[in-house]
Amino acid sequence: MIIPFYHVLILASLLFGMGLACVVAWRTNVIMMLIGIEIMLNSVMLTFVEGSARWGIADGQLFALMLIALTSAEVSLALAMVVYLHRRKQSVNTDDYGSMNG
Amino acid sequence: MSVTDALAIMPILIAAGAALLVLLAGPFLQARSISWIAVVAAAAAGVWAVVYPAVGATVTLPGLAFTGLSQFLIPVFSAAATLTLLLSHDYNQRRGIKGEEFQATVLFTLFALCVLACATNLLILFLAIESVSFAFYILVSLDLEREESGEAGLKYLLMGAVAAAIVAFGISLIFAGTGTLALTGAFAPEATRPIVSAGWGLVVIGIAFKLSLVPAHLWTPDVYQGAPAPVAAFLSTGSKVAAAAFFLLLLAFSRPLAEIHLPLYLLSLGSMVIGNLAALLQKNIKRMLAYSSIAHMGYLALALLTGSREGYSAVLLYGAIYTAMNLAAFGAIASLSGAEERGELTAYTGLGHTAPFRGAILALAMLALAGIPPTAGFLGKFYIFYAAIRGGETTLAIIGIVTAAISAYFYLKVVVQLYMREPEGAAPAAPHQGTPAESLALTCAAVAILFIGIYPSPILRVLDAALR
Repeated sequence: MIIPFYHVLILASLLFGMGLACVVAWRTNVIMMLIGIEIMLNSVMLTFVEGSARWGIADGQLFALMLIALTSAEVSLALAMVVYLHRRKQSVNTDDYGSMNG
Repeated sequence: MSVTDALAIMPILIAAGAALLVLLAGPFLQARSISWIAVVAAAAAGVWAVVYPAVGATVTLPGLAFTGLSQFLIPVFSAAATLTLLLSHDYNQRRGIKGEEFQATVLFTLFALCVLACATNLLILFLAIESVSFAFYILVSLDLEREESGEAGLKYLLMGAVAAAIVAFGISLIFAGTGTLALTGAFAPEATRPIVSAGWGLVVIGIAFKLSLVPAHLWTPDVYQGAPAPVAAFLSTGSKVAAAAFFLLLLAFSRPLAEIHLPLYLLSLGSMVIGNLAALLQKNIKRMLAYSSIAHMGYLALALLTGSREGYSAVLLYGAIYTAMNLAAFGAIASLSGAEERGELTAYTGLGHTAPFRGAILALAMLALAGIPPTAGFLGKFYIFYAAIRGGETTLAIIGIVTAAISAYFYLKVVVQLYMREPEGAAPAAPHQGTPAESLALTCAAVAILFIGIYPSPILRVLDAALR
Protein backbone atom coordinates (compact mmCIF):
# COMPACT_ATOMS: atom_id res chain seq x y z
CA MET A 1 0.00 0.00 0.00
CA ILE A 2 1.32 3.45 -0.89
CA ILE A 3 0.62 6.10 1.68
CA PRO A 4 -0.43 9.40 0.03
CA PHE A 5 2.15 12.18 -0.01
CA TYR A 6 0.01 14.69 1.84
CA HIS A 7 -0.85 12.30 4.67
CA VAL A 8 2.81 11.92 5.52
CA LEU A 9 3.29 15.68 5.35
CA ILE A 10 0.38 16.22 7.72
CA LEU A 11 1.76 13.64 10.13
CA ALA A 12 5.20 15.27 9.98
CA SER A 13 3.73 18.72 10.59
CA LEU A 14 1.78 17.44 13.58
CA LEU A 15 4.92 15.84 15.01
CA PHE A 16 6.87 19.03 14.42
CA GLY A 17 4.17 21.08 16.14
CA MET A 18 4.13 18.70 19.11
CA GLY A 19 7.89 18.91 19.44
CA LEU A 20 7.80 22.69 19.29
CA ALA A 21 4.98 22.76 21.85
CA CYS A 22 7.07 20.53 24.11
CA VAL A 23 10.01 22.94 23.88
CA VAL A 24 7.83 25.96 24.55
CA ALA A 25 5.69 24.43 27.29
CA TRP A 26 8.48 22.69 29.23
CA ARG A 27 10.79 25.63 29.19
CA THR A 28 11.71 24.99 32.81
CA ASN A 29 13.43 21.65 32.24
CA VAL A 30 16.45 21.31 29.97
CA ILE A 31 15.97 17.56 29.43
CA MET A 32 12.38 18.00 28.29
CA MET A 33 13.48 20.73 25.88
CA LEU A 34 16.04 18.36 24.38
CA ILE A 35 13.35 15.70 23.93
CA GLY A 36 11.17 18.26 22.16
CA ILE A 37 13.99 19.21 19.81
CA GLU A 38 14.55 15.52 19.09
CA ILE A 39 10.90 15.07 18.12
CA MET A 40 11.11 18.09 15.81
CA LEU A 41 14.15 16.66 14.05
CA ASN A 42 12.48 13.26 13.70
CA SER A 43 9.57 14.87 11.88
CA VAL A 44 12.13 16.50 9.57
CA MET A 45 13.61 13.09 8.77
CA LEU A 46 10.15 11.73 8.03
CA THR A 47 9.56 14.55 5.54
CA PHE A 48 12.88 13.90 3.85
CA VAL A 49 12.23 10.19 3.48
CA GLU A 50 8.79 10.90 2.08
CA GLY A 51 10.23 13.45 -0.36
CA SER A 52 12.74 10.83 -1.49
CA ALA A 53 10.00 8.30 -2.07
CA ARG A 54 7.91 10.77 -4.00
CA TRP A 55 10.61 11.90 -6.42
CA GLY A 56 12.40 8.58 -6.58
CA ILE A 57 15.83 9.90 -5.59
CA ALA A 58 18.02 9.03 -2.62
CA ASP A 59 19.07 12.60 -1.69
CA GLY A 60 16.44 12.92 1.01
CA GLN A 61 17.38 9.62 2.61
CA LEU A 62 20.99 10.77 2.67
CA PHE A 63 19.95 14.00 4.35
CA ALA A 64 17.97 12.00 6.92
CA LEU A 65 21.04 9.87 7.69
CA MET A 66 23.15 12.99 8.12
CA LEU A 67 20.50 14.43 10.41
CA ILE A 68 20.75 11.34 12.63
CA ALA A 69 24.48 11.98 12.99
CA LEU A 70 23.83 15.66 13.60
CA THR A 71 21.25 15.07 16.31
CA SER A 72 23.46 12.64 18.18
CA ALA A 73 26.30 15.16 18.13
CA GLU A 74 23.94 17.85 19.32
CA VAL A 75 22.50 15.80 22.15
CA SER A 76 25.90 14.65 23.35
CA LEU A 77 27.07 18.25 23.44
CA ALA A 78 23.94 19.38 25.24
CA LEU A 79 24.07 16.59 27.79
CA ALA A 80 27.74 17.29 28.47
CA MET A 81 26.83 20.88 29.13
CA VAL A 82 23.90 19.87 31.34
CA VAL A 83 26.15 17.61 33.43
CA TYR A 84 28.72 20.39 33.74
CA LEU A 85 26.14 22.96 34.81
CA HIS A 86 24.41 20.45 37.09
CA ARG A 87 27.66 19.98 38.98
CA ARG A 88 27.79 23.71 39.58
CA LYS A 89 24.19 24.31 40.56
CA GLN A 90 22.62 20.89 41.28
CA SER A 91 19.71 21.66 38.99
CA VAL A 92 18.40 21.11 35.48
CA ASN A 93 15.77 23.79 36.00
CA THR A 94 16.33 26.61 33.55
CA ASP A 95 14.96 29.18 35.98
CA ASP A 96 18.10 28.69 38.06
CA TYR A 97 20.21 29.84 35.14
CA GLY A 98 19.27 33.47 35.15
CA SER A 99 22.31 35.31 36.42
CA MET A 100 22.16 37.60 33.41
CA ASN A 101 19.09 39.77 33.00
CA GLY A 102 17.74 38.93 29.61
CA MET B 1 39.59 13.45 -5.64
CA SER B 2 42.10 14.71 -8.19
CA VAL B 3 44.91 17.20 -7.67
CA THR B 4 42.88 20.01 -9.25
CA ASP B 5 40.08 19.37 -6.76
CA ALA B 6 42.49 19.37 -3.85
CA LEU B 7 44.03 22.65 -5.02
CA ALA B 8 40.63 24.26 -5.47
CA ILE B 9 39.41 23.41 -1.98
CA MET B 10 42.80 23.87 -0.31
CA PRO B 11 41.54 26.43 2.28
CA ILE B 12 39.16 23.78 3.61
CA LEU B 13 41.93 21.20 3.75
CA ILE B 14 44.33 23.62 5.46
CA ALA B 15 41.80 24.48 8.15
CA ALA B 16 40.83 20.85 8.78
CA GLY B 17 44.42 19.62 8.77
CA ALA B 18 45.59 22.35 11.12
CA ALA B 19 42.71 21.71 13.53
CA LEU B 20 43.61 18.02 13.74
CA LEU B 21 47.33 18.82 14.01
CA VAL B 22 46.69 21.22 16.88
CA LEU B 23 44.60 18.63 18.71
CA LEU B 24 47.15 15.85 18.20
CA ALA B 25 50.31 17.86 18.81
CA GLY B 26 48.78 19.93 21.60
CA PRO B 27 50.01 17.85 24.55
CA PHE B 28 53.62 17.96 23.34
CA LEU B 29 53.97 21.63 22.53
CA GLN B 30 54.03 24.93 24.40
CA ALA B 31 50.81 26.96 24.42
CA ARG B 32 52.61 29.72 22.52
CA SER B 33 53.68 27.51 19.61
CA ILE B 34 50.19 26.02 19.35
CA SER B 35 48.74 29.50 19.04
CA TRP B 36 51.25 30.38 16.35
CA ILE B 37 50.54 27.20 14.35
CA ALA B 38 46.84 28.02 14.49
CA VAL B 39 47.36 31.66 13.48
CA VAL B 40 49.59 30.75 10.55
CA ALA B 41 47.18 28.07 9.31
CA ALA B 42 44.15 30.36 9.55
CA ALA B 43 45.97 33.12 7.70
CA ALA B 44 47.26 30.66 5.08
CA ALA B 45 43.73 29.52 4.27
CA GLY B 46 42.70 33.10 3.54
CA VAL B 47 45.82 33.94 1.54
CA TRP B 48 45.36 30.80 -0.57
CA ALA B 49 41.81 31.83 -1.38
CA VAL B 50 43.00 35.29 -2.46
CA VAL B 51 45.87 34.20 -4.69
CA TYR B 52 44.34 31.04 -6.15
CA PRO B 53 43.46 32.10 -9.70
CA ALA B 54 41.26 29.25 -11.01
CA VAL B 55 37.89 30.51 -9.90
CA GLY B 56 35.10 28.31 -11.13
CA ALA B 57 37.40 25.40 -11.97
CA THR B 58 35.24 22.35 -12.40
CA VAL B 59 35.41 20.30 -9.26
CA THR B 60 34.31 16.70 -9.36
CA LEU B 61 33.41 16.66 -5.68
CA PRO B 62 29.67 16.55 -5.07
CA GLY B 63 28.33 19.63 -3.33
CA LEU B 64 31.49 21.72 -3.36
CA ALA B 65 32.86 24.31 -5.78
CA PHE B 66 35.29 27.18 -5.53
CA THR B 67 33.30 30.14 -6.87
CA GLY B 68 33.80 33.86 -6.93
CA LEU B 69 31.66 34.06 -3.81
CA SER B 70 34.00 31.66 -1.99
CA GLN B 71 36.93 33.79 -3.06
CA PHE B 72 35.33 36.76 -1.34
CA LEU B 73 33.98 35.03 1.78
CA ILE B 74 36.88 32.74 2.72
CA PRO B 75 39.37 35.62 3.24
CA VAL B 76 36.80 37.42 5.41
CA PHE B 77 36.23 34.33 7.54
CA SER B 78 39.91 33.56 7.76
CA ALA B 79 40.73 37.14 8.78
CA ALA B 80 38.14 36.87 11.56
CA ALA B 81 39.61 33.56 12.76
CA THR B 82 43.19 34.80 12.59
CA LEU B 83 42.52 37.96 14.55
CA THR B 84 40.47 36.00 17.09
CA LEU B 85 43.35 33.60 17.63
CA LEU B 86 45.81 36.49 17.99
CA LEU B 87 43.57 38.21 20.51
CA SER B 88 42.72 35.13 22.51
CA HIS B 89 46.21 33.83 23.29
CA ASP B 90 47.03 36.41 25.97
CA TYR B 91 43.41 36.80 27.00
CA ASN B 92 43.17 33.06 27.68
CA GLN B 93 46.34 33.11 29.74
CA ARG B 94 45.06 35.95 31.88
CA ARG B 95 41.74 34.18 32.37
CA GLY B 96 43.10 30.69 32.93
CA ILE B 97 41.51 29.13 29.83
CA LYS B 98 43.97 26.31 29.25
CA GLY B 99 44.48 23.60 26.68
CA GLU B 100 44.72 23.36 22.93
CA GLU B 101 41.02 22.76 22.38
CA PHE B 102 40.33 26.48 22.14
CA GLN B 103 42.61 26.91 19.11
CA ALA B 104 41.43 23.63 17.61
CA THR B 105 37.77 24.64 17.94
CA VAL B 106 38.43 28.00 16.31
CA LEU B 107 40.07 26.17 13.39
CA PHE B 108 37.15 23.73 13.18
CA THR B 109 34.86 26.75 12.97
CA LEU B 110 36.98 28.16 10.17
CA PHE B 111 36.78 24.79 8.39
CA ALA B 112 32.98 24.81 8.57
CA LEU B 113 32.86 28.45 7.44
CA CYS B 114 35.02 27.65 4.40
CA VAL B 115 32.80 24.68 3.53
CA LEU B 116 29.78 26.96 3.76
CA ALA B 117 31.34 29.41 1.33
CA CYS B 118 31.99 26.60 -1.18
CA ALA B 119 28.68 24.73 -0.84
CA THR B 120 26.57 24.06 -3.89
CA ASN B 121 23.77 22.00 -2.42
CA LEU B 122 21.43 22.29 0.52
CA LEU B 123 22.82 19.29 2.40
CA ILE B 124 26.38 20.64 2.52
CA LEU B 125 25.09 24.13 3.24
CA PHE B 126 22.99 22.94 6.17
CA LEU B 127 25.71 20.74 7.62
CA ALA B 128 28.21 23.59 7.34
CA ILE B 129 26.07 26.15 9.11
CA GLU B 130 25.23 23.65 11.85
CA SER B 131 28.91 22.80 12.33
CA VAL B 132 29.62 26.50 12.72
CA SER B 133 26.95 26.72 15.42
CA PHE B 134 28.28 23.59 17.19
CA ALA B 135 31.77 25.01 17.39
CA PHE B 136 30.40 28.25 18.78
CA TYR B 137 28.38 26.45 21.48
CA ILE B 138 31.67 25.02 22.72
CA LEU B 139 33.65 28.24 22.39
CA VAL B 140 31.05 30.29 24.26
CA SER B 141 31.07 27.99 27.27
CA LEU B 142 34.84 27.39 27.41
CA ASP B 143 35.51 29.92 30.18
CA LEU B 144 35.12 27.52 33.12
CA GLU B 145 36.03 30.13 35.73
CA ARG B 146 33.03 32.33 35.06
CA GLU B 147 29.52 31.16 35.74
CA GLU B 148 27.92 33.27 32.99
CA SER B 149 29.95 31.49 30.34
CA GLY B 150 28.37 28.06 30.82
CA GLU B 151 24.94 29.60 31.21
CA ALA B 152 25.37 31.53 27.96
CA GLY B 153 26.50 28.35 26.23
CA LEU B 154 23.42 26.44 27.38
CA LYS B 155 21.04 29.22 26.31
CA TYR B 156 22.73 29.50 22.93
CA LEU B 157 22.67 25.73 22.45
CA LEU B 158 18.97 25.35 23.20
CA MET B 159 17.98 28.31 21.03
CA GLY B 160 20.33 27.21 18.27
CA ALA B 161 19.02 23.64 18.30
CA VAL B 162 15.43 24.83 17.94
CA ALA B 163 16.49 27.13 15.09
CA ALA B 164 18.35 24.25 13.43
CA ALA B 165 15.27 22.05 13.60
CA ILE B 166 13.15 24.82 12.07
CA VAL B 167 15.63 25.42 9.22
CA ALA B 168 15.86 21.67 8.61
CA PHE B 169 12.08 21.36 8.42
CA GLY B 170 12.01 24.26 5.97
CA ILE B 171 14.65 22.63 3.79
CA SER B 172 12.82 19.30 3.94
CA LEU B 173 9.63 20.96 2.73
CA ILE B 174 11.48 22.72 -0.09
CA PHE B 175 12.98 19.36 -1.04
CA ALA B 176 9.61 17.63 -0.88
CA GLY B 177 8.15 20.33 -3.11
CA THR B 178 10.88 20.63 -5.71
CA GLY B 179 12.57 17.22 -5.70
CA THR B 180 16.12 18.53 -5.68
CA LEU B 181 18.71 19.60 -3.14
CA ALA B 182 20.82 21.51 -5.66
CA LEU B 183 21.03 25.26 -5.10
CA THR B 184 20.59 25.96 -8.78
CA GLY B 185 17.35 25.25 -10.49
CA ALA B 186 15.14 24.57 -7.50
CA PHE B 187 11.95 25.34 -9.35
CA ALA B 188 8.60 24.84 -7.68
CA PRO B 189 5.89 23.21 -9.82
CA GLU B 190 2.49 24.87 -9.42
CA ALA B 191 0.98 21.85 -7.63
CA THR B 192 3.46 21.88 -4.76
CA ARG B 193 3.88 25.60 -4.49
CA PRO B 194 2.17 25.87 -1.06
CA ILE B 195 4.62 23.33 0.37
CA VAL B 196 7.60 25.25 -0.98
CA SER B 197 6.19 28.53 0.38
CA ALA B 198 5.81 26.96 3.81
CA GLY B 199 9.38 25.71 3.57
CA TRP B 200 10.66 29.18 2.72
CA GLY B 201 8.71 30.64 5.65
CA LEU B 202 10.32 28.20 8.08
CA VAL B 203 13.77 28.88 6.64
CA VAL B 204 13.22 32.61 7.16
CA ILE B 205 12.23 32.02 10.80
CA GLY B 206 15.30 29.86 11.39
CA ILE B 207 17.61 32.40 9.75
CA ALA B 208 16.04 35.15 11.84
CA PHE B 209 17.22 33.19 14.90
CA LYS B 210 20.71 32.83 13.54
CA LEU B 211 20.96 36.45 12.42
CA SER B 212 19.26 37.49 15.71
CA LEU B 213 16.57 39.55 14.03
CA VAL B 214 13.71 40.86 16.18
CA PRO B 215 11.63 39.01 17.52
CA ALA B 216 14.10 36.10 17.61
CA HIS B 217 16.88 38.15 19.17
CA LEU B 218 16.48 37.49 22.89
CA TRP B 219 19.45 35.14 23.22
CA THR B 220 21.97 37.58 21.74
CA PRO B 221 22.72 39.94 24.66
CA ASP B 222 23.10 37.08 27.14
CA VAL B 223 25.39 35.10 24.87
CA TYR B 224 27.59 38.09 24.07
CA GLN B 225 27.81 39.03 27.73
CA GLY B 226 28.64 35.48 28.83
CA ALA B 227 31.10 34.59 26.08
CA PRO B 228 34.80 35.42 26.46
CA ALA B 229 35.46 38.69 24.60
CA PRO B 230 37.54 37.24 21.71
CA VAL B 231 34.86 34.58 21.19
CA ALA B 232 32.20 37.28 21.16
CA ALA B 233 34.26 39.00 18.46
CA PHE B 234 34.33 35.83 16.36
CA LEU B 235 30.69 34.99 17.10
CA SER B 236 29.40 38.41 16.12
CA THR B 237 31.34 38.39 12.86
CA GLY B 238 31.85 34.81 11.67
CA SER B 239 28.48 33.36 12.56
CA LYS B 240 26.52 36.41 11.44
CA VAL B 241 28.27 36.68 8.08
CA ALA B 242 27.82 32.92 7.69
CA ALA B 243 24.08 33.16 8.32
CA ALA B 244 23.81 36.07 5.89
CA ALA B 245 25.78 34.09 3.29
CA PHE B 246 23.56 31.06 3.86
CA PHE B 247 20.48 33.13 3.15
CA LEU B 248 22.15 34.85 0.22
CA LEU B 249 23.06 31.51 -1.37
CA LEU B 250 19.46 30.38 -1.03
CA LEU B 251 18.03 33.62 -2.38
CA ALA B 252 20.48 34.31 -5.16
CA PHE B 253 20.37 30.91 -6.79
CA SER B 254 16.87 29.61 -6.40
CA ARG B 255 14.64 32.51 -7.36
CA PRO B 256 12.96 33.69 -4.13
CA LEU B 257 9.23 33.58 -3.82
CA ALA B 258 7.27 36.79 -3.48
CA GLU B 259 5.77 35.51 -0.21
CA ILE B 260 8.90 36.06 1.85
CA HIS B 261 9.00 39.79 1.13
CA LEU B 262 6.58 40.77 3.91
CA PRO B 263 8.14 38.67 6.72
CA LEU B 264 11.59 39.93 5.80
CA TYR B 265 10.28 43.51 5.73
CA LEU B 266 8.87 43.19 9.25
CA LEU B 267 12.00 41.48 10.57
CA SER B 268 14.21 44.21 9.17
CA LEU B 269 11.96 46.99 10.50
CA GLY B 270 11.76 45.46 13.98
CA SER B 271 15.49 44.82 14.22
CA MET B 272 16.49 48.32 13.16
CA VAL B 273 14.05 50.04 15.53
CA ILE B 274 14.18 47.78 18.59
CA GLY B 275 17.90 47.01 18.31
CA ASN B 276 18.89 50.66 18.26
CA LEU B 277 16.40 51.76 20.92
CA ALA B 278 17.28 48.93 23.33
CA ALA B 279 20.98 49.68 22.91
CA LEU B 280 20.35 53.17 24.29
CA LEU B 281 19.45 51.67 27.69
CA GLN B 282 22.41 49.33 28.15
CA LYS B 283 25.02 49.86 30.85
CA ASN B 284 27.21 46.90 29.88
CA ILE B 285 29.30 47.48 26.78
CA LYS B 286 29.01 43.88 25.53
CA ARG B 287 25.21 43.95 25.83
CA MET B 288 25.24 47.32 24.07
CA LEU B 289 27.25 45.80 21.22
CA ALA B 290 24.84 42.87 21.12
CA TYR B 291 21.87 45.17 20.54
CA SER B 292 23.95 47.10 18.05
CA SER B 293 24.59 43.85 16.18
CA ILE B 294 20.85 43.17 16.12
CA ALA B 295 20.37 46.59 14.51
CA HIS B 296 23.15 45.99 12.01
CA MET B 297 21.60 42.67 11.02
CA GLY B 298 18.41 44.64 10.42
CA TYR B 299 20.32 46.75 7.87
CA LEU B 300 21.58 43.54 6.25
CA ALA B 301 18.02 42.20 6.03
CA LEU B 302 17.00 45.48 4.40
CA ALA B 303 19.60 44.97 1.67
CA LEU B 304 18.58 41.31 1.24
CA LEU B 305 15.00 42.43 0.84
CA THR B 306 15.68 44.34 -2.37
CA GLY B 307 16.50 41.09 -4.19
CA SER B 308 18.72 42.98 -6.60
CA ARG B 309 22.36 42.38 -7.41
CA GLU B 310 23.17 45.75 -5.87
CA GLY B 311 21.49 44.69 -2.65
CA TYR B 312 23.40 41.42 -2.51
CA SER B 313 26.70 43.11 -3.13
CA ALA B 314 25.85 45.63 -0.38
CA VAL B 315 25.21 42.67 1.97
CA LEU B 316 28.60 41.15 1.23
CA LEU B 317 30.41 44.48 1.50
CA TYR B 318 28.70 45.25 4.79
CA GLY B 319 29.54 41.76 6.07
CA ALA B 320 33.24 42.37 5.45
CA ILE B 321 33.15 45.86 6.96
CA TYR B 322 31.15 44.72 9.95
CA THR B 323 33.72 41.98 10.55
CA ALA B 324 36.52 44.56 10.75
CA MET B 325 34.51 46.91 13.00
CA ASN B 326 33.38 44.29 15.49
CA LEU B 327 36.79 42.64 15.66
CA ALA B 328 38.26 46.04 16.55
CA ALA B 329 35.58 46.75 19.17
CA PHE B 330 35.59 43.35 20.90
CA GLY B 331 39.35 43.08 20.44
CA ALA B 332 39.88 46.33 22.34
CA ILE B 333 37.52 45.09 25.07
CA ALA B 334 39.42 41.78 25.28
CA SER B 335 42.73 43.56 25.46
CA LEU B 336 41.54 46.01 28.12
CA SER B 337 40.07 43.22 30.28
CA GLY B 338 42.39 41.75 32.86
CA ALA B 339 41.57 38.88 35.19
CA GLU B 340 38.07 40.35 35.33
CA GLU B 341 35.98 41.16 32.28
CA ARG B 342 35.71 44.92 31.83
CA GLY B 343 31.98 45.04 31.19
CA GLU B 344 30.38 48.14 32.67
CA LEU B 345 30.58 51.32 30.60
CA THR B 346 31.76 53.30 33.64
CA ALA B 347 34.86 51.08 33.84
CA TYR B 348 36.07 52.75 30.64
CA THR B 349 36.25 56.26 32.10
CA GLY B 350 39.49 57.97 31.19
CA LEU B 351 40.99 54.90 29.51
CA GLY B 352 41.67 56.99 26.41
CA HIS B 353 44.43 58.66 28.46
CA THR B 354 45.76 55.69 30.46
CA ALA B 355 45.77 53.24 27.50
CA PRO B 356 46.01 55.58 24.49
CA PHE B 357 46.45 53.00 21.72
CA ARG B 358 43.66 50.62 22.70
CA GLY B 359 41.41 53.51 23.68
CA ALA B 360 41.90 55.01 20.23
CA ILE B 361 41.06 51.69 18.54
CA LEU B 362 37.89 51.33 20.60
CA ALA B 363 36.91 54.91 19.76
CA LEU B 364 37.60 54.29 16.07
CA ALA B 365 35.46 51.13 16.13
CA MET B 366 32.62 53.06 17.77
CA LEU B 367 32.83 55.85 15.18
CA ALA B 368 32.82 53.24 12.41
CA LEU B 369 29.81 51.43 13.88
CA ALA B 370 28.01 54.76 14.11
CA GLY B 371 28.74 55.23 10.41
CA ILE B 372 30.81 58.39 10.54
CA PRO B 373 33.00 59.14 7.49
CA PRO B 374 35.77 58.49 6.52
CA THR B 375 35.50 55.11 8.27
CA ALA B 376 34.32 52.01 6.42
CA GLY B 377 31.10 51.98 8.46
CA PHE B 378 29.87 55.01 6.54
CA LEU B 379 30.59 53.39 3.20
CA GLY B 380 28.80 50.18 4.15
CA LYS B 381 25.70 51.99 5.37
CA PHE B 382 25.73 54.21 2.28
CA TYR B 383 25.71 51.21 -0.06
CA ILE B 384 22.93 49.50 1.90
CA PHE B 385 20.61 52.51 1.89
CA TYR B 386 21.49 53.32 -1.72
CA ALA B 387 20.61 49.77 -2.79
CA ALA B 388 17.41 49.89 -0.73
CA ILE B 389 16.22 53.15 -2.30
CA ARG B 390 17.13 51.90 -5.78
CA GLY B 391 15.23 48.70 -5.01
CA GLY B 392 12.08 50.63 -4.12
CA GLU B 393 12.20 50.27 -0.33
CA THR B 394 12.21 54.01 0.32
CA THR B 395 10.11 53.99 3.51
CA LEU B 396 12.20 51.32 5.18
CA ALA B 397 15.41 53.03 4.06
CA ILE B 398 14.31 56.31 5.64
CA ILE B 399 13.43 54.52 8.89
CA GLY B 400 16.85 52.87 8.75
CA ILE B 401 18.65 56.18 8.28
CA VAL B 402 16.75 57.73 11.20
CA THR B 403 17.55 54.81 13.51
CA ALA B 404 21.19 54.93 12.38
CA ALA B 405 21.27 58.59 13.41
CA ILE B 406 19.80 57.68 16.81
CA SER B 407 22.42 54.96 17.21
CA ALA B 408 25.20 57.56 17.07
CA TYR B 409 24.19 58.57 20.61
CA PHE B 410 25.17 55.33 22.32
CA TYR B 411 28.28 54.80 20.25
CA LEU B 412 29.54 58.29 21.00
CA LYS B 413 28.71 57.78 24.68
CA VAL B 414 31.59 55.26 24.79
CA VAL B 415 33.93 57.77 23.16
CA VAL B 416 32.87 60.41 25.69
CA GLN B 417 33.56 57.94 28.52
CA LEU B 418 36.99 57.23 27.11
CA TYR B 419 38.17 60.79 26.72
CA MET B 420 35.97 63.43 28.31
CA ARG B 421 34.81 62.12 31.68
CA GLU B 422 36.49 62.38 35.04
CA PRO B 423 36.06 59.18 37.08
CA GLU B 424 33.45 59.54 39.82
CA GLY B 425 34.87 58.21 43.07
CA ALA B 426 37.57 55.59 42.59
CA ALA B 427 39.23 55.52 39.18
CA PRO B 428 38.69 52.27 37.21
CA ALA B 429 41.48 49.75 37.49
CA ALA B 430 44.36 50.60 35.16
CA PRO B 431 44.62 48.11 32.27
CA HIS B 432 47.67 45.88 31.97
CA GLN B 433 50.27 46.50 29.29
CA GLY B 434 49.09 45.52 25.79
CA THR B 435 50.92 42.54 24.30
CA PRO B 436 52.44 42.48 20.77
CA ALA B 437 49.93 39.91 19.46
CA GLU B 438 46.98 42.00 20.63
CA SER B 439 48.49 45.17 19.20
CA LEU B 440 49.05 43.41 15.86
CA ALA B 441 45.45 42.20 15.71
CA LEU B 442 44.02 45.59 16.68
CA THR B 443 46.23 47.37 14.14
CA CYS B 444 45.07 45.02 11.37
CA ALA B 445 41.40 45.63 12.19
CA ALA B 446 41.88 49.41 12.41
CA VAL B 447 43.81 49.53 9.13
CA ALA B 448 41.03 47.55 7.45
CA ILE B 449 38.40 49.98 8.76
CA LEU B 450 40.28 53.01 7.48
CA PHE B 451 41.53 51.45 4.23
CA ILE B 452 38.11 50.25 3.06
CA GLY B 453 36.63 53.58 4.08
CA ILE B 454 39.11 55.69 2.13
CA TYR B 455 40.02 53.47 -0.82
CA PRO B 456 37.22 50.95 -1.45
CA SER B 457 37.79 50.19 -5.13
CA PRO B 458 39.83 46.94 -4.68
CA ILE B 459 37.19 45.32 -2.49
CA LEU B 460 34.41 46.51 -4.80
CA ARG B 461 36.22 44.89 -7.75
CA VAL B 462 36.43 41.57 -5.89
CA LEU B 463 32.75 41.88 -5.01
CA ASP B 464 31.83 42.47 -8.61
CA ALA B 465 33.65 39.30 -9.59
CA ALA B 466 32.03 37.41 -6.71
CA LEU B 467 28.51 38.05 -7.94
CA ARG B 468 29.33 38.03 -11.65
